[in-house]
Amino acid sequence: MKTPYQILEAPEQASDAEIKQAYLQKVKQFPPDHHHEQFQQVQQAYEAIKDLESRTQYALFTVPEADFNGLLKQAFASGPAPTISAEQFEKLLCASVDAKTFNIAASETVTAR
Amino acid sequence: MKKKKTPIKAKPNTSGGICDAAMAKAKLDAGQYKEAIELYKQLLKQADNKEWRSALALCYLKRAMPLAEKGMIKEAMVLWENYQQNAEPPYQSYDSYIAWLLQTNNAAKVTACFGRLSAQQLDEHYPNLAALLGLLIVTEKPELEAMLPADSQFIAHLVSVRAALAAYRNNEPEAVEQALKQLPFRSAFRDFRTLLKAALLLPGSTDQAQALLTKIPATSPYYQAGKLLLATTHDGLALVDELLQCEQKPRQLIGTIKKISKKQLELLDVLVKQKDRLSDKIKFNCALQYRELFGEDLAKAYCLAALATYPAGQRDFNKHFGAMDEFEQCRLMALNYEREEDFHSSDYYWQQGIALLKKQGESGAFKIALIMRHIARHQPSAEEGVEWLVESLDYDPDSRETYLKILRQYEQEQEETELYKQWLDRGMKAFPQDVDLLAQAIKAATANKAFKKAAQYAKNLLKIDPVNTFAKQVLFTSHLAHARKLIKTKKFHLVEKEIQQAEKLTLGKRYQNQAQLLRGFFVMLAEDKKQGLQQIAEAAEKMNDGSACGYFCVIVEALSMGLSLPSTLKGLPQPPKNYQLSEQEIGRLVQIVQQYYGDDKSNTAVLHQALEKIKAIIKQSIKQKIVSEQTLLTLAECLDNIGYYELLAHCAKIALMQWTKPIWLFYKFYAEVGGRADQCSSFNIERLQFNYARARDDSDHRTAMRIKRFIDEYYEDKNPFLGGFFDDFDDEFDEDDEDDEDDEDDGFDPFAGDSPMDLFDHLPTAVFEKLQKKLQDIMKKSSPERVINTINKSLSKPIDVSFFMFKPDAFVALLMLQAAAELGIDTGVTGDQIIEFGEIEEDSKPPSFPFF
Repeated sequence: MKTPYQILEAPEQASDAEIKQAYLQKVKQFPPDHHHEQFQQVQQAYEAIKDLESRTQYALFTVPEADFNGLLKQAFASGPAPTISAEQFEKLLCASVDAKTFNIAASETVTAR
Repeated sequence: MKKKKTPIKAKPNTSGGICDAAMAKAKLDAGQYKEAIELYKQLLKQADNKEWRSALALCYLKRAMPLAEKGMIKEAMVLWENYQQNAEPPYQSYDSYIAWLLQTNNAAKVTACFGRLSAQQLDEHYPNLAALLGLLIVTEKPELEAMLPADSQFIAHLVSVRAALAAYRNNEPEAVEQALKQLPFRSAFRDFRTLLKAALLLPGSTDQAQALLTKIPATSPYYQAGKLLLATTHDGLALVDELLQCEQKPRQLIGTIKKISKKQLELLDVLVKQKDRLSDKIKFNCALQYRELFGEDLAKAYCLAALATYPAGQRDFNKHFGAMDEFEQCRLMALNYEREEDFHSSDYYWQQGIALLKKQGESGAFKIALIMRHIARHQPSAEEGVEWLVESLDYDPDSRETYLKILRQYEQEQEETELYKQWLDRGMKAFPQDVDLLAQAIKAATANKAFKKAAQYAKNLLKIDPVNTFAKQVLFTSHLAHARKLIKTKKFHLVEKEIQQAEKLTLGKRYQNQAQLLRGFFVMLAEDKKQGLQQIAEAAEKMNDGSACGYFCVIVEALSMGLSLPSTLKGLPQPPKNYQLSEQEIGRLVQIVQQYYGDDKSNTAVLHQALEKIKAIIKQSIKQKIVSEQTLLTLAECLDNIGYYELLAHCAKIALMQWTKPIWLFYKFYAEVGGRADQCSSFNIERLQFNYARARDDSDHRTAMRIKRFIDEYYEDKNPFLGGFFDDFDDEFDEDDEDDEDDEDDGFDPFAGDSPMDLFDHLPTAVFEKLQKKLQDIMKKSSPERVINTINKSLSKPIDVSFFMFKPDAFVALLMLQAAAELGIDTGVTGDQIIEFGEIEEDSKPPSFPFF
């Protein structure tokens, strides 16, 4: 779960003006017509930290969320999909063979003698 | 240990094998193959019947397949071979049998089977087996190729597959494509082709590769390979999910492909091992141990949050991230209790936090104010909430929202008009140009009939917000009210100017007609009676749909100006005899009444008198039962607002003849006693309690609240201190109806018997009586929740409402202490002593309370 600061990519010490600037940039990036969900997220994040009062409210009353999946997401965040070499491809084929592989559905045609 | 076989004996042969054959057939049909096999075997011992043998074969086959699915391959093979012995060729599931042989590495039988396999069978009859063989040949069993028919398409396609793989090894994607093109759609290597194409698309076209991979069917031997390749395209949580589903070998392979670090693999191993028992403790420890993977901040934030469900981690948290400051500890405790909806405890920790912030001086003031406003939201009663809001302004006086909240609260409490005025003045001083505060000021001035003041505020508001409809309406009402006053006091020369000012406010036709109606009265009284009456009649007709509504308006206006009704109405058209209001007219009438009531809430007497004049028409109209329940309800609510109970009772009576909603019975009893709960009979209260439960069951919360308030008022009148407690004991409220009367008789005498009250024995009688008197004052003036909150401030361990229920004597003793504190009397008794005494008295049975 990202914090409003993370969503807007604004530092926690940012001023009202800096936060507004970050918000406007994000709105440009995610216009409501094309990225409704992201826009809503950006909007909510801005509302949560737009001025001193809302930032203090956020700091005081936001219940920190114990999001273990969020941790795992961070720990295994990787770049784009890798190139698969022929050797890796063949190893992958070999690794895929397990007991389930042999469990083939019997063919309807029955001609064995 | 093997189970001892208990063969099912065939019955003694009475009529040949017919009886046993029927039984065997029944078992076969019922899917009880094991029993069927035994019976058929017995039967075949008696005679070699072709039909029985065929049935026996089928039983073997039917037993074999589910065993294979369960992974009992060897058992399945034996059963299939039994099937083969008893069946005639062609054999069913022969390809499955070969797959089992391959899985169990039964080389001899595989060779024998393959020796009998023709090219046509491999290419056309056993596509699934062919696909499996293809995968095995390119992976771990290349030797199988030599056993397969050389003239088969399979072998030809295998050549293309090998060419594709070789080109892939040589990094020649175009050659790979070319080789793959040689594989037709029906090839045994169809899914291999999809797989290799997807691998070629990576990393450039991940989406396309993913789309291709999802096309490999779950029944294909390449499905698993497709899943693994797909996993390499994922990251984050999706990747973790995929990896957790994999066996160790493929997991490590994907790890290598994805360049997953040793530490990440280590974490994955932990997750795999703890998969189904990933407790809060394990997660907390993972977050600590692998925090370099998660990032220090994220790991810290997680651990901080996890302490709510795993408080034992506090020491480790402090060790790794440093000790939390005291305020943070209080904040988290408060938030955790809030999450559990234990607002009493959360308030306690917020207050601890406030105490810490106070030590910071000015820098903590804003936070204190916000916390106080936060606490205010969860208070059991509105007045306690307001107390917090008021206090918060000491720390942040510039919160207009807080002023507004306080005002809105006092606005609802009729007995707090003085406080409302004070706060309005304070608010107006602090925010003289605030639209909302000006609106509040207008409302207040209108309610006090200070029309000039209201008009002035409205003018100020219109300067800031020229299109503010509310301000325009108020100004309009104010001008008209002033015009009426001028007519009443015969200051006719000023009336026209006032009416014109009202007309200048562009509010719509309805308002213009209302001004015109008043002008008619002015003309009638000051200039030309006949012309005035005509103007009144015209305006009334224009204003309203139907003559009754217009007639009603004329009456209200006339009464508002203190005119004689008979002489005014004499020259005006009146509703014809037997006139009936349409549903639309009733709706309109309700609007008119609400508008007049909104303009001047204190003048309900005029509305009552005006309604009196048309009540026969209203009664007649609703008696015809042409009015919908909703319209009648709107009328009833309107009559309830203005307290016109006679007509309300009639509405309820008519409604009860047609409908059964709980609100109608409530209105019946409510109107019968003129809205006075104390006049209601206990029998009717009991019926209302039943209706309250019904309203709740129907999710008619509005009615439920309305009935509850009325019942609360009834009980508050009987016992002012206990009344408010219904709020916390709704469930009990529904039950124990039968015991109510007994309970009322029981009464609870807090001063009877041994109790913590003994702690006050040393006090002189006069002082004791003084305390008792004060205690009764506290009970009358404060809600129990408020008293408990005040008491809690003096206790080291806070108590809650249940304390009052289960230790009433100790609670009364605490009240005595509170009374003493308020009177400034030192009794020498402490709150903690009383609590301790109460705990010793644990065995004492809770006394019965009225209504619980």
